[in-house]
Parts: sequence; structure tokens; C-alpha cells
Amino acid sequence: MKVAYYPGCVAQESGKELDMATRAVASRLGLELVDFPTFSCCGSGFVDESNLTLNVAINARNLAIAERAGLSTVMTVCSTCQGMLKLAGQVLATTPTIRSRVDATLRGIGYTYSGSATPKHFLQIIVEDLGGAEALRSKVRRPLRGLKVAAFYGCHLLRPHDRMQFDDPEDPHTFEDVIRALGAEPVDYRGRVMCCGFPIQFVKPATAERIAGAQILDAQQHGADAMATPCPLCHISLDTYQREAGRQVGHQLNMPVFHFPQLVGLALGLDPGTLGLARHLVSTQGALAKLGAVAVPA
Amino acid sequence: MPTIPFEVFRGSPGQTRFDTFSLDIPEHTPILTALLKIRDEIDPTLTLRYSCRQAICGSCAMRINGKSRLACLTPVGPEFRARGKLRIEPMANQPVLRDLVVDQGPFWQRYHSIRPYLVPDPQHPLPVGKESPMTPEQVAQFQETPRCIACASCYSACPAIASDGDFLGPMALAKLFRFVVDPRDGAFHERLLGVQNQSLWLCLRCNLCVESCPKDVRPAERIHDLKWMANQELGALERGSRHAIKFASNIREGGLLNEMKLARETLGLVGMLGQIPKGIELARHGKSIRKHPPIQGREELDAIYRELDRPEDLQHRPRVPGQGVKGPTQQPSKAGGAA
Amino acid sequence: MVGAGLAGQRAALEAIRSGLDVGILSKLHPLRSHSGAAQGGINAALGPQDSVKDHVYDTVKGSDYLADQDAVEILCREAGPTVIEMEHFGTIFNRAPDGSLDRRAFGGASYSRTIFAADRTGLALLQALYEEISRETRVRIYEEWDAIRLVSRGGRVHGVVALDRKTGTVEGFAAKSVVVATGPAGRIYARTTNSHASTGDGGALAYRAGAYLKDMEFVQFHPTALPGSGILITEGARGEGGILRNKNGERFMERYAPHVKDLASRDVVSRAIATEVAEGRGFPDGTCHLELMHLGREKVETKLQEIVGFCRNFAGIDPVTEPIPVYPAQHYMMGGIHTNPRGETNLAGLYAAGEAACVSVHGANRLGANSLLETLVYGKIAGANAAEFARKTTAGELTPEDVSTAEKELHALWERREGEPPARLRNDLQSTMEADVGIYRTPEQLEAARRKLGEIRTRYASCYVEDKSTVYNVNLTDAIELGHMLDLAEVIVAGALARTESRGAHVRRDFPRRDDANWMKHTMALWSPQGPVLSYLPVTVTEYAPKERVY
Repeated sequence: MKVAYYPGCVAQESGKELDMATRAVASRLGLELVDFPTFSCCGSGFVDESNLTLNVAINARNLAIAERAGLSTVMTVCSTCQGMLKLAGQVLATTPTIRSRVDATLRGIGYTYSGSATPKHFLQIIVEDLGGAEALRSKVRRPLRGLKVAAFYGCHLLRPHDRMQFDDPEDPHTFEDVIRALGAEPVDYRGRVMCCGFPIQFVKPATAERIAGAQILDAQQHGADAMATPCPLCHISLDTYQREAGRQVGHQLNMPVFHFPQLVGLALGLDPGTLGLARHLVSTQGALAKLGAVAVPA
Repeated sequence: MPTIPFEVFRGSPGQTRFDTFSLDIPEHTPILTALLKIRDEIDPTLTLRYSCRQAICGSCAMRINGKSRLACLTPVGPEFRARGKLRIEPMANQPVLRDLVVDQGPFWQRYHSIRPYLVPDPQHPLPVGKESPMTPEQVAQFQETPRCIACASCYSACPAIASDGDFLGPMALAKLFRFVVDPRDGAFHERLLGVQNQSLWLCLRCNLCVESCPKDVRPAERIHDLKWMANQELGALERGSRHAIKFASNIREGGLLNEMKLARETLGLVGMLGQIPKGIELARHGKSIRKHPPIQGREELDAIYRELDRPEDLQHRPRVPGQGVKGPTQQPSKAGGAA
Repeated sequence: MVGAGLAGQRAALEAIRSGLDVGILSKLHPLRSHSGAAQGGINAALGPQDSVKDHVYDTVKGSDYLADQDAVEILCREAGPTVIEMEHFGTIFNRAPDGSLDRRAFGGASYSRTIFAADRTGLALLQALYEEISRETRVRIYEEWDAIRLVSRGGRVHGVVALDRKTGTVEGFAAKSVVVATGPAGRIYARTTNSHASTGDGGALAYRAGAYLKDMEFVQFHPTALPGSGILITEGARGEGGILRNKNGERFMERYAPHVKDLASRDVVSRAIATEVAEGRGFPDGTCHLELMHLGREKVETKLQEIVGFCRNFAGIDPVTEPIPVYPAQHYMMGGIHTNPRGETNLAGLYAAGEAACVSVHGANRLGANSLLETLVYGKIAGANAAEFARKTTAGELTPEDVSTAEKELHALWERREGEPPARLRNDLQSTMEADVGIYRTPEQLEAARRKLGEIRTRYASCYVEDKSTVYNVNLTDAIELGHMLDLAEVIVAGALARTESRGAHVRRDFPRRDDANWMKHTMALWSPQGPVLSYLPVTVTEYAPKERVY
């Protein structure tokens, strides 16, 4: 399968380990990623707060770029990118006034978007297009046995459901299915569908961190050895700001947080260096030791 | 249908437990009906709020397998099958009085804090002896919010409410929207100013309120509308609005986000000083935040901005249509979920 | 004010704005009142051809000439200003394309005169009125307080004793005047469109305090309720063009009401459905079908939003593509606490309004969309007159004994160690009323009902409240409410047995015709230890002498 790869801003810079892991895992799964240096930022939900039409147009351009290359799937690795690209599709399909403004604008720069290219998150592609959890299981070389992993979905991958059309918006299971296929044990905790706090990290850091802390603590109290997320923004809240989050909820937290492709990559036998695990602020050593996996190079 | 065990939260603060009650009932039985059956036939001491049993009085919101729902609107079968159990708890984010009854005081306080009544507009007094005029566009603004039954499901589901007492919450802000768009109301500016402090911008856009609302009011989207209106009416008064406005101009420059510049513009120079230790820590892990090189075709993006980032586009914020009426409760696509 | 639905809040608003301090007691938060469940609309003759006179005539005819015509004239005259006032309070009504208030057709009305807010008109009005109240400072709302005693002495009311659900404490509220506006009592029946809280508390309290109950035997059965749950499908569904059919696909209302068919008044349509089913032309589940499919998705989903949700959620059917199975269910009590057109009862200082009261504007059968109107028009009148009385009178003399007596009785019930649970007694009461005091009545059934109610009354004396908690004890309030329902049920049966004619919603198999010579009068019931004592009061006729009702 060949897809247009939409890494989003974070995976191209501060969260480069996500990009590294994605490319390595995709290659193992026989998924061909086509890069487009023309892709722009999705607006991250913030452009939408000031101008919806503009936000839709920016993402219609992104989708049109893939469409022009004959690709029907734009693969995202970020819940928010997925949400914004889906929003564009939904608004164009249901709101003729915006559709005509956007179409005219795109025509002006030589694009058309017919709707044939649609966004899909990497997790969704594994589940829906690459044979699902079973197919993945057959490729596992280093089962994550004994590891209790708390899936953390990230809001925009799931909600609103009428836009995202993926899994159950408040009680999803696909990520847990994948975790089981990798040989690990999923953790059942309410925090998995909650918010990480990232959207207000700049507005009111203490609150954002308290929210992140609540979810990490929830995972910890339900026995998680590690968390895993399909969203690099959640990763920032859960990993980069974990110490601050712990301070807000009055607990010393030490919860390794994997990007979704990193977790898959480990089970596929990729080495921690390739997956960029050393780039995390919270060390993943403890979790890896539990697996008897190779130590992370410092 | 097998016998269904209901795990029901019981007791008052300090003395709580879960009681299990088993019932043989058809799958489509609403959970409220089942709880009333438990009360009538097994344990009359179980207490809960309920009245209309048809999703209009808003009394019977509670957590069903963790989700905030109206008990009268949620059938037993799908919830039981999805998780293999039925755990019934009082709403979250409100102190429990006893069993499934919570103290709704703080919820109502927030509702009253938004001045939930029409404020007369001295410039445009209401016509004497006849109805106020309203255009179809104005009427269209009332598509969702009048459906609100104040059940507090959204309030119970909201992670921002859980973590910050300053947040007004989805219901109060959706109610505010109802007054902000009302042509009979004379306090448009003041109302927006009243929430253009941190409250409006504490919404996380997590959309849990959208999913839990039994009447499809879609509070998160109304909050989004309010943010947009506040930006138009008041400009970038504080961090949240500044962040939204600066984000748009930020990506215009290079096509991808310039994280450093956005932080500087949102937080200001003083705020940036506080970020220095974090910056050093990131750099130590190879996570230094540099500026992306511009994307190819940056001029195309610029053309889109020239065309669409204009006042007339900002005047016009069409609705993303919702379901109109909430259908039957979401049926999970397959059993399982987390372990 | 006892009760915080539309009537109670409107009365309160009037009293507050006349400069008085007002307390409102309500066992529910005001926004959870049953007024909010009213769907279809509120009548006002605002259409170009319509007139107050036509509205009066339709209402009197609909009432089967039992309504007091002076009271109806006030109702219809005040309708327009009331609707406009509510609009100015902020009610979000549906609008016509030109921006004016949209109107829909309703049963028994000569013109489209029903103003509406989708199919949640009650909720829209309740929200607006609560918003209007919430700007006032001279009011205190006691939410989730149950009134358990109305204290009267010497022909005058002195206050109320009430139970705080949240703490279990009992307190007295001395008052110069009291307005009772506690709404419906439908839970007396097994199948009702009414909410669980609709237990007729105010009527029973007033009755026990010495007020007259009037015309209680007139119980409206709404033609279109979902089978089983009794959830209401608004008359607005037929107003928008919905059609009733039997199992043969026949539009049977053509036989019962050749002119207006599905939009005949409620008593007529309910009897038609009951007859079709009884004579074997109903569907196997004992229903007839209400069809909306021909109206098209857009109309159904925009004008009947709630109905779509109800059907999908509570019946598992989609009214856009499938017929809705319906059967009549108890819906409204035409009777209630007797008042004159000033809202006054026979007790000085006691006023009543809304469904708990009986002015009477609905007579033997209420027209759709007149009840919301009544709550607001007569709520306002009762509030104004209660305020005027309060200004002229001395403080209510509520003694510590008044409170302690009520409290002692309550505690006696609460502390009993064994007996029958209220749920079982309630079920027996409800099934008795459902089986024997329904749409069609026979003397044998009514006698049987009287006997069974007597037994339930005896068993009620040993009713056992298992829950001993002081916090939100609904087991206790169940038992209190059951007592109230039992009082009202006895009055309904007594009135129905005595009234040997068929009029409006009261249909006797043994007296199938209306008898104007003997029965143009209201049934008045006073409490006595031996049961209700009946007397009669003539109907006020101003313009319209009784005629045969043809739809």
C-alpha cells in the first residue's frame, strides 16, 4: 500500500523520533510512504479558532496535493492533524458556502480537491487496511510480554464521532487490540479517552499540567508500566511536561510514554536507537528492561 | 439476554461501596427503568434523581460504564455487551450527596454567573404589543442551544472542569452563546468581555461534551463559535486569543509552525524567560526547537491567506451541521475495549 | 408558591414585581418541572382570520360545554399578550419566513393558532420564564423541598410545612397567602404521559386543608402515546399532517370526525383509537398507527425533533420511514383545586393555578395547547391576587404545633419497623385506576375501583419506609406522594360514579349521552374522614348554549 505521508510539524522537529519510528515501522509493514515537501501545517485547531474558512482551505490544499499525485490516503501520525484534515473534508461536504469559497481559492493556485484523497491515521491504517491486529501479530518478533501498556488515544482521533468515524468515541478498543497483538497487556482506565491538556499549555500551564498529571496518575494507579499515544501533542504533555504534571497532582511520576509507532517498532524487533527512544524526557529504560530488550543508547 | 448484574455506587462520602443487583430484563430496557425496578423490587433505599423518563427534565444524568449519560435514554443491552458489565456511578465533578445523587450547586452557580436572561438594549427597545423581529439567519443561530435540558452530562464529562475551578463549563458557555446570538439581547460586547478572560480559553476542544450531550447541543462547537466571536469583537486580549490569532499568521510565513516564535508571541518576552529551563532540558534530549525551513509552494499558502483571511470571511462562520437529533446511543462496533 | 413550573413561576413573577418577597417551594429544580415536557404549543388567536371569539368558541365546544365561559373569555383575551410577553422574556419560538411567530394546526381549533417552539414548547417557555425570574432578587427558591402540609384555620390558610429532601429536615413557612401550582397527577394511572413526579401533591394538600376539588372525574387520555412507556407523541404531529390508520390501512378518523378527521378533539380521537382496537381493527400489539412518513424527512426532523428522538430511542423506530404505534394514555386532569376566575379558592389566602387548579377553562375536555396558556394566564392572575391579599392581611399564624404535628406524622411513617412498601401499594393503585377508571366507564368497574381503593387506603395505614436516611430519601417521598395520589383517586372515582351522563372525557357505557338538563354543573368535593363529600356548582354560560359537538 502506498500513501501520502503527512508527518505534521511536531514530528518534523521536536518530536522527530515519531517520524523516525514511523518510517522504520512502515517499511517493515510494507507500507510505502510518499513525502510531499509542499505539505503545510494543519492549523492545529488554533487557526480554526480565528478563521474556519481559512483553516479548511489550508487543509483542502494539503489533501489536493495528495489527490493530484493519485494517492487516495493521506497518512497522519497525529490525532490533531487527523482531526483538522477530517474537519476540512466534513465542512466541504456539508457547507456549500465554504465549499465554493475554498474551491475558487484553490483554483486560483492551480488545485482542485474532489474528495477522493482522505486522511487516515497510521493506527487506523494498520487496523483497517493492513489486515488489522491479526496481521500485525504475525509480524511480531519481540513480543512485549509482561508489559502493561496504557493506551492514550488523544481526543481528535475519536471526537466528534460524526466527523472522525473511527472507533467508539468514548470507549474505543482499536489501540488496545493492537497492544494485545504486540504481546503486551492493555490497561483499562478512564483516562485513556480524556484530554492531555495540551491545547491550553500556553493559556494556563498549571491547569494543562494538572490535566496531564491526572491521566498519567490514572494509568499508574491502574498498573501501567508505560503509556502509548498516537498523538505527538499528547506526547509533549505526557512526556515533556511530566515532571511539572507530577508537581501539579502531588505525585512523583515516572511513566515512560511511547509514541504509537515506537511501541509497534519495538515488537517488530527494531532497535531503540532507530525508534529514537533516547529523545524522550522520561526514560524508557525501565520498561525496556522489563522486556529484556536492548538498552537504549544514551 | 443473560441476567444482568448492575454494579451500583452506594453510600455517602466517607462510606461508599458498590452493590450488585441482578435483573432479568429485555435489552432495550432503559437503565432508568432498570434502576427503578431495583428500587421497587429489591432495595428501596437506592436513591437517585429522576422525573420525566423521556429526556426532557434532565434529572437522571449519571455515569454508565464511565460515560456521562441520561439513564432514561440509555438502553441496557449495548452498554452491557460492550463491556461485559454495567457500572453505574453518580456524575463526576460534583460532590456526591448519596448514592447516585450529587450536589448540583456549583453547576447551577456557573449557569447563573453568565446572566442567563435577556439584557435590554436601550438602542433597540422591543416592539410594543408584538413579537420582536427576527431574520431567518438569526433564527438559524438557535439551532442547537435551546435543546439544552441542563442535565449536566457535559459538566460531568468535562476534563477542564475537573482540573480548574475557573472554567465555566460546557453548559454555561453554550447557554451564554444562546444569549450572545439573540438579537433581542443588548449585552453582546459585555457578555464576550466577561468570558474573554481565561474561562473561554480553558476549553480543551476534547469534544467529550459533544459526545455526552443527550440533546446534541454540541457545546464544544458553541464555545468555538464564542472564541471566534470574541476574537472578532475584542481582538487578542489575552493568551488564548493571542495564541489563536498568532498561530494563523505564524504558519503563513513558512508553511510549518515556528514553535519558538509562537511561544514568544503568545507568552511575551517575560513569559519566555520561564521557558528557558525547559528549553535547555529539551536540547539535552536532542529536542531543540529550531525553525523549519519553509515548505515548497509557500507562495500558494500565502495566496490562500490573501484570498480568505479577509474581514468578510470572518463575518461569516457557517455551522458545521450536527445530527439535529441524537439517535440511539452509540453502539460500539465490537465488544472488547480495554481488558 | 408551592410548585415551580410555569404556573408557579408566573405567579411568583407577578407577586415579586408587585413588590413582595416571594418564596417558591418545589420538589424539583424549576427547570425540571413537568411544564418542560409539554410539546406541541400554546394557543393565541394571532392569525389574520382568527379571533379571540373563535378561540373562546372552540374552547367551550371542546370542553363539551362544561367550561365556565367567563373564565374562557379571560383565557383567550389574554392569550395574545401572554405569548408576546413570553417572547419578550426571551422564548425562542419558531418563526415564519417573514420573521413573525409561526403557527401550527391543533385539534379542535378552527384556525392554525398554536404558537410553538419545535416540539418542546413547554421547555422553551420554562427556560424563558426561569431566566426572567433569575434576574429578580426578591425571591428565594427552595429547590427539592416537598410540601407535606398546608395549614389552614378558620377558613384561612396560614402557611406550609415542608421537607428538605437534601437534609431530611422539616420546616414551617408562614405565609400571608399561598399559591398552589403543583401541576399534574397522572401517576395515579399505570400508563400516563406524565413524569414520575406528577403525583398531585398540591391538590391533595389543599383538599386535606379544606379546599374544594372540582370536576376530578374528567381525566384526559391523550390519543397518541407510545405503547408501554406511555411517552407522549405530540398532537403537533397530527397538526403537521400526521395520519392515524388501523391495521387495514384505513384512515379511520374519517368515520368518527368526517370534517376535521385526525384533528378532532382529544376525547374523540382517544375513543376512536380505543374503539378500533377493541373491535379488532388494531394492530396485534393493541395499537393504531400514526404515520408521518409522507411529510418528508426535512419537515419531520425540523418541526418534530423531539418526537424523532423519542421514537428512535424509546420505541426503536424511525418516524421518517416507519409508522409510530400509538395508544391513548392518561395525559391531563381537567379537574383540580376549585378556583374562581381570580384564582381564589374557598379558603382565604389560598390560590391555585395551572393543572393543579380548576377554574374551569377546560371543562370536560381540554383542547391541545390550551394548558400552557392556562398556566401563564391564570398563574399571573393568581399571583397578582395572592399578592393583593398578602398586602391587606396579617401575617400567617403558623404555630410550632403546626410544624411539629406534621413532623410527628412524618416520623411515625418513617420510623415504622414493618409493613408494605409504597411501591407495591402504588402499583395496585395505578393498575386499579388504569383498569377500572379509564376511557370508558361502567358502574360495576367504578364500584370495584371504589372498593379496591378502600383496601389500599387501609393497607396504606401500615405503609413501610425501609430507607431511614435523612439524605435524599425518595423512599420516604414515595410514601408521601402515594398518600396524595390515593386522596385524588378516591375523588375521581366518587365523581365518576355520581355523574350519570357522558360528557367530554367522562364516558359512561350506561349513560352514553350528554345530559344538559341535569348535569350542566361542576362536581365539587370536600374532604371528610368518611371520604369525599360531593356537591355541585352551576356552569357559567355567557354566550354559547350547549349544542351537539360535531367535528
